[in-house]
Amino acid sequence: MNARQHYQAERKRRTGLLLGMLGATLLFAFLFLFAGRYPTAGFRFPTDWATNEMTRSIFLRIRLPRIVLALLAGAMLSASGFTFQMLFSNPLVEPGFLGVSQGSAFGAALMIVLGVGSTLLVQLSATFFGLLALLASYLIATRFRFGGWLLRLVLSGIAVSALFSSALGVVKLVAEPTKDLQDITFWMMGGLWNASWSQILSILWVVILSMGILLGYRWKLNLLSLQEKTSFSVGMNPKRDRIILLIVATVGTTVTISITGLIGWVGLITPHLGRKLFGSDSSTSLPGSMILGSFFLLVCDTIGRTVLATEIPIGLLTSFLGAIIFMIILSLKHQEGKA
Amino acid sequence: MNALTVNHLSFTYPSGTKALDDISLSVQEGQSVAILGSNGAGKSTLLDVLLGWQKSTEVSLYDKPLSSYGRKELGRTLALVPQFEQYNFSFSLLDYVLFGRSPYLSGLGTPSEEDAEIAYQALCDVGLESYAERHITTLSGGEHQLLLLARAIAQQSSMLLLDEPTSALDPANRKRVITILKQLHTKGKTLLFTTHDANLAYDLASHVAMVKKGRLLCYGSKEEVVTTAMLTTLYDTDLTVAQVGTKTLIY
Repeated sequence: MNARQHYQAERKRRTGLLLGMLGATLLFAFLFLFAGRYPTAGFRFPTDWATNEMTRSIFLRIRLPRIVLALLAGAMLSASGFTFQMLFSNPLVEPGFLGVSQGSAFGAALMIVLGVGSTLLVQLSATFFGLLALLASYLIATRFRFGGWLLRLVLSGIAVSALFSSALGVVKLVAEPTKDLQDITFWMMGGLWNASWSQILSILWVVILSMGILLGYRWKLNLLSLQEKTSFSVGMNPKRDRIILLIVATVGTTVTISITGLIGWVGLITPHLGRKLFGSDSSTSLPGSMILGSFFLLVCDTIGRTVLATEIPIGLLTSFLGAIIFMIILSLKHQEGKA
Repeated sequence: MNALTVNHLSFTYPSGTKALDDISLSVQEGQSVAILGSNGAGKSTLLDVLLGWQKSTEVSLYDKPLSSYGRKELGRTLALVPQFEQYNFSFSLLDYVLFGRSPYLSGLGTPSEEDAEIAYQALCDVGLESYAERHITTLSGGEHQLLLLARAIAQQSSMLLLDEPTSALDPANRKRVITILKQLHTKGKTLLFTTHDANLAYDLASHVAMVKKGRLLCYGSKEEVVTTAMLTTLYDTDLTVAQVGTKTLIY
């Protein structure tokens, strides 16, 4: 087999695997529609679909939007995590890296404490402060006089993250303990229980656009993981492309977590799994990671809403399962030299 | 035809350090030119300016100002072989060499089967074709240098800029790299490489530019400029150019 045929065959194999995973995820999403605690706990196909308004409402207005949100949020968080990892050439990076998560958390908490009832304003505030954290990290990094550009960004991200963490602590201190503090705590643990079609529609175009841009850059992300001078020498404009992709990934993340709350580990763990399955070439490992992110969040949410009578916050589950998967991946044989 | 023209080039870093001072030289198409000098002489800065990585208005490529080249157009004209590349993701060798095809892809396009064939041929040119599916993090230092060279070959540019191409190599790998570079030169590629090794400069280059403290000490054919007197001035130490049989040896 010559190089052309081999490359063609490998591409076909990867595309087949991608389509297979996508099909499996959609199949599970359909099956999980029947998982829940109504009318009784477990998998139940509704026999009174045509006659019972309550049944239809639970399936179409509660479970379905929740599943759609899990798929969307999983793909978006995974795509952002993957992008951050490539841009910083570091497989241990995720969207919270430049203070984005803490900034968003502060923005959401601030609106909750100010008694703003509008979900949209909480979303906007979370997005605004997430972006502000990114901008602050970037500007502070340009003022640092220590280390290379990536190290300076890492250090300024740590500082900005700590600043927003302490500001969040102050907000929690003054929060009304019986309602606001609980809302903030639940938001920080993440959850899809509030998912509604109107919420999904409010973020849909931003999320689709962000994912579209990141997918468009899927092969060029490889080049941006190299040293800047090298990517420049092969015809890239690394500074411009890095800024574009950082903004896109951050906006996608903050808009998503503005309605799901903080959901950690998806953006860290699924890119690792994606690279294990598809190799390091981001042209297939990025879409692969996005499908895995959707699947991971779908499974976590289904467990969270079905296993106990009370809901388990999804952020707790993603952290718990994510940490276990992470340890397993890094302990597998033949890991040397594979990122 | 003039492949490269540098006209009274000076360069100062934002920190205020003056790295290059009034350098002028021209390189003809198909020449192999060594930029020779000691560590910190400004060789790598000069290479960065010629690459376009550091901005300058005093450099022309094929009689067109470097600053007027588009990014992809420049990528099709010049290819860089850095001294070292750090990887944190384990691409296959073929994936990595395919990166050299970037200047030929449209917008956000991905490489075609034809690009894969060119990349594979570049791996054949450096003798790494049997490792095409291996991960780059498993390569030895010598193979690593060959891989960087393969990526630059896949770029199919008319000029190669090489930063200390053999400085970290053992004798066997050094010989392999020199042989490949000589083959590329024979095929008509214009080579421009930095080195502090006068023997390499004499062996590989047709012309030598000696750089000391950011200034051009001399520039000309190697037979003219690589002399005991010039090398002693360049390195501030006693060096001798001797003829041993058909070989010229500098020690």
